[in-house]
Amino acid sequence: MSDEEPQTDGSGTGIVPPDDETPTWSERKERTQGLSRLTYEYFERARREDQDLRQESSYVERDVLAFPVWPHEMIRNLSLTAFFVGMTIFLAATLPPHLGPPANPNSTPAVILPDWYLYWSFGLLKLGPLNPELAILGGDTLMADRTYGVVANIVVVGIIAIVPFLNKGSARRPVEQPFWAAVGMAGFTFAWTISALSIKNLLPIDPHLLFDLTFLLPIIGGTLTYAILKSMQEGYMYDLNRRYYRLRPPK
Amino acid sequence: MADEFIKGLAIAAGGGLIWMVLSGWYTTPGFEDAQLWGAIPEGLDAYGQAAIMLREVLAWFIILGVLAFWVVIPALEQLREASS
Repeated sequence: MSDEEPQTDGSGTGIVPPDDETPTWSERKERTQGLSRLTYEYFERARREDQDLRQESSYVERDVLAFPVWPHEMIRNLSLTAFFVGMTIFLAATLPPHLGPPANPNSTPAVILPDWYLYWSFGLLKLGPLNPELAILGGDTLMADRTYGVVANIVVVGIIAIVPFLNKGSARRPVEQPFWAAVGMAGFTFAWTISALSIKNLLPIDPHLLFDLTFLLPIIGGTLTYAILKSMQEGYMYDLNRRYYRLRPPK
Repeated sequence: MADEFIKGLAIAAGGGLIWMVLSGWYTTPGFEDAQLWGAIPEGLDAYGQAAIMLREVLAWFIILGVLAFWVVIPALEQLREASS
């Protein structure tokens, strides 16, 4: 290990001491990798101050880099809480909610829909056209369309449950892992398109076109995301992001 | 750039909040009727007329403020960077 190489776990000599050796702003500007270098120095300075504070305090040494709960986190949390409580009181006072007449249990509405956040599941029940008519069954389907829709729900929820095991989510921003960001955007788009499919009788669009778009748009969205993020990696910001990567505390 | 973004966002959120409250008071005939965008009622008192005027002012404040901070000022900065 050479002395010139900065170590992010504190074992090396890459610490920038807060004294006369600290570069001035004009010196920082003259460096070629200005932003990434500045970021590095900032984190090193913060880490050094954190280390000094620990060594002179009576706290038990922990290898967790964070701000103390009191007062830093608590002041921030109280500010946020005060803001949202105040906003709730303001809105409740100025725009009190409408209390409509009770629902009539004797009349069935013409259009029956689940709540909007369940449209995706409702749309998965309408995948009948995808239910394959198998030649081995003499042109019959393996299961009824309604069973197929329920199985589609299980499959989609299963895929969503599997994704965290395939990708641990170590990237802090999408540009670090364009593929998984593209997978996320495809899933996000599919959530919207399948929700639109569930209310196809209310949308002013041809149902067959809507059905095709339901599966085409997620692919287009994912491909676009991947292309954009891959081209963003070429930009200068990615050097900065790689620097952040290296500055994370070691496991 | 981030400063300009948060200024535009603050104008949109803050102005939009007051606009929404005034619209809920004056231009919302009913819950199952037109909401926020309803017709301006006739025969308002002085407070009502002032509120309607403030609503108009806020609408233009949001449009012009967001345009200024998200479009015009960044475009001018880009132009200045490109020319220098």
